[in-house]
Amino acid sequence: MIKNTPTICSFCSNGCGMFVRSRGGEAIGVIPLTGHPVGEGRLCHRGWNRYQNLRSVNRIDRPRIRDGSGFKEVSWEKALQKTADRIRGLLDRYGPESIGVIGSPWLTNEDNFRLSRFCIHVLSSKNLDGSFRFAGASALTALGSAFSYPFGSLGTIPRLKECPSILVVGGDSHRDFSPVGSRIIQAFLRGSKVVLADATVARKEHFYAAHLPYTLQQLPIALAEKSDILDDVQQCLSHKGLGLVFVADQVHPASSLISLLGLLSRLSNLEDSFPEILPLSRAPNLRGAWDMEIRPDEEGLNLHEMLERDDGIKGILIFADDLLTHLPSEPLVERLKSLEFVLVADRFNTETCRIAHCVLPLPLLAESEGTMTNCEGRVQKLRSALPPPAETRSVQKILSDLSQKVGSPLPDHVDFEVRKEMSRCVPGYQQVSDESALDSLPGVLLPGEKQLSAGAVFPESASSSSKSETFTFVAIDTLYGWNRNQMILESPVLAIEYPLDPMTLCISAADARALKLRMGETVTVRSKEGEVRLPVQPNEDVPVGMILLASHWKDVLDRLAGKGSVDTLTGSVYYPALSVTVEKI
Amino acid sequence: MNQYVLLKTDLNRWVEMARKKYRVYAPERVQEDIFFAPLLGPPESEFLTGLAVLPYLPPKDLVFPQSEILFSYSREGEKIALTVPDQETEASVLLGIRSCDTVGISWMDKFFRENFNDTYYGRRRDNLITVTIACNRPIKNCFCVCCEGGPFLDPGKNSFDLQLIDMNDRYLVECNSDQGETLINLDPALFSAPPPDMEAMRNRLEEEARSMFLPEPTSYMGTAIRRITADSVPSEVWTELGERCFDDGGCTFVCPCCSCFGVGYLAHGSGGCHYRFWDSCDYSGFTREVSGHNPRGEKGERFKRRFFHKLSYQYVKKDGRIGCVGCGRCITACPGEVGMPTVVETIRRSDTGDSSKE
Repeated sequence: MIKNTPTICSFCSNGCGMFVRSRGGEAIGVIPLTGHPVGEGRLCHRGWNRYQNLRSVNRIDRPRIRDGSGFKEVSWEKALQKTADRIRGLLDRYGPESIGVIGSPWLTNEDNFRLSRFCIHVLSSKNLDGSFRFAGASALTALGSAFSYPFGSLGTIPRLKECPSILVVGGDSHRDFSPVGSRIIQAFLRGSKVVLADATVARKEHFYAAHLPYTLQQLPIALAEKSDILDDVQQCLSHKGLGLVFVADQVHPASSLISLLGLLSRLSNLEDSFPEILPLSRAPNLRGAWDMEIRPDEEGLNLHEMLERDDGIKGILIFADDLLTHLPSEPLVERLKSLEFVLVADRFNTETCRIAHCVLPLPLLAESEGTMTNCEGRVQKLRSALPPPAETRSVQKILSDLSQKVGSPLPDHVDFEVRKEMSRCVPGYQQVSDESALDSLPGVLLPGEKQLSAGAVFPESASSSSKSETFTFVAIDTLYGWNRNQMILESPVLAIEYPLDPMTLCISAADARALKLRMGETVTVRSKEGEVRLPVQPNEDVPVGMILLASHWKDVLDRLAGKGSVDTLTGSVYYPALSVTVEKI
Repeated sequence: MNQYVLLKTDLNRWVEMARKKYRVYAPERVQEDIFFAPLLGPPESEFLTGLAVLPYLPPKDLVFPQSEILFSYSREGEKIALTVPDQETEASVLLGIRSCDTVGISWMDKFFRENFNDTYYGRRRDNLITVTIACNRPIKNCFCVCCEGGPFLDPGKNSFDLQLIDMNDRYLVECNSDQGETLINLDPALFSAPPPDMEAMRNRLEEEARSMFLPEPTSYMGTAIRRITADSVPSEVWTELGERCFDDGGCTFVCPCCSCFGVGYLAHGSGGCHYRFWDSCDYSGFTREVSGHNPRGEKGERFKRRFFHKLSYQYVKKDGRIGCVGCGRCITACPGEVGMPTVVETIRRSDTGDSSKE
């Protein structure tokens, strides 16, 4: 007998409604929930094939602890006692500032809330952060700064189709997030003007009225210098009810988004109706983890600082994140490996599990209850579609047991009790204790606060615009890239759909012809900082004069760009576009 | 073909008789969506009227599931054990399937049974008797009338077991197979001979149903078939249509005539299984070669290939009909708003620039 469980997809920040279909506790299929406001009966290929990763054989079977160079499986009691002893040891020897806790956009709001409380009240540590420090934090910091925190819901996906004009920053925003792409096409069919801003593509799809070949950093400056932009594009962007869509994971630095928001507000001369804004993410609960305060306060260390500073932390507790895959630099990876104690609680056997001292198995999101907050600021309930394997334990149980063993017990609250607490303490989340609203298909939309605050700044003049010597080198942000996402890798169909990025430079076919370069031939790329030699991959979609490389090839980037630039608002490191020369070897 | 009359007041009694001998699948509502599920009591009558209410998924998943284990293996020392899972081979009745979906199952029969006999499909299909309900009134996305997929099945042309035609307080029951007759024989007393004017009434209802379809984009199938067959659709048209495709595969999964599948492997310790799953020609990995080369790397090329398979005369000749039954589910499932009617209409309006090819 097939069981159809209505729940929420957990691939990305859109949170589409779906039925997970199962038989005898085994996932056998997925179909969309037609009445759900985000997907309205449609799914992307990740959603349609989600059932495949729900039966992965690469799950963590049992708790295990490091034993020499390998691991040994142990009982939960032993694993938790060992973890508690190590935590206690670090606290006694170095103090609470020696421990860091990593929450996750792949955990529910309730679990992130528990983690935050565990870090602050049990460990008395202020070192709390997530891997989104490297992708996503800049966008959320910018929105918090431009609209004042909590900014709640800044727009909804269904309303996007009614926007008279839409600015899409980065083509991935429509291609990779089909509910958003769907509304962009619907808006186009209704006569709306859709403008694409993307420096890395040579041609636009037919539904875009205009293409602005700029990165997010260059865009506010280009828009401010009216000579660069056609009048009708300016007019499009000054429409009341503009829609603004971007991938939060690709926003670097925060100030670029703040500038863009400031500029759009000035263009449209708006006082009370700001655009529908959708900060998309390839992680399902980026908004929720951020809102549950999985981030350090002013005294705490962010993830980058935790790992970069030698006098920083000695032990780290990582929940539901493959940090080793997501850390953008080799020195950070080495530093993580050298810590005295690493706890990993996760679902799959990831790279990070291999360097842990203790590994604890968690249930999948499809085996869990709880809520997540999507890119619209919509809080939605997950329903357990499958029974969790016997050897997994929820974050609630793990933290409750650990806190007891460490000596400062946390109240063992179930999800709805945590939601009551969240409604009292998390800014903007007052309505999440309304269980009947949460049980409805639309869930709870956080109240929106769309008044541009004094934090929004207008862009400086064009002085910082880089003029290319020969080529512009752009690192495509791949931190939460689908081809490194564990849920994708555990699904045979999806793993084929997302082949790994080769360490090759993408160059336009025209440039390749001019330089007499064929596929796979090596070039020397020189910047002011240094040079690299890499093979090229000519591509018709790459603009002339542009060289593209996936950003996770950090060593290459370091050689070309030195240490990159630091986003002063978030502490994350990013690589602005570089001027380089290219020479065939 | 035999005809009978079944009073609606007798339907539940007949279904109850059937439930004693068969697993009876019928449409059932879960939240706002409709699924075919085994009946545990009387069927929901709203799904057994002439109004075309379609579940999101066609019932093709009862014979060709979204994923199924082909065989599992385990190894102990030198001993290797292979197991083919027990299928749901219980004799089943599919009550309330619509005309378009019944034609879809016939299409599947051709694919899975004609050139080779797929045992997994065959075992399920052999045990399935269909009771179609004809559509007196189409709904928003229906265009079966353009695809010979309905609204009524034609006993002379279509292969089916039983067809119920809604005539207010009764059904005209058309029986087109021996299997259908076995269902009638569960309680022959419930079925009476139709009065002489019933055939005329049936034909009038069918004409009325056909007249309710909007002429708009759906009636241009012929032009699209000609242009696709002659390869006279400009490549820019395919590129634009492809740009609106999100490679989600939704249209293929909900299509009663899409039968592509992939095979996956799960291995854990000394055991594992091979399973198959619905695959989609929308996906770039569908045709990518091991070398990395993809003969249909562009979305527009994949889109063209999909509609060539659905509509070209080459396939009509091979399969006996176009690969579309006009259920309209691709419209519901497509995030890019490029379901079959839009594609057909776009092709019809496209300037081929070379009429000699047609």
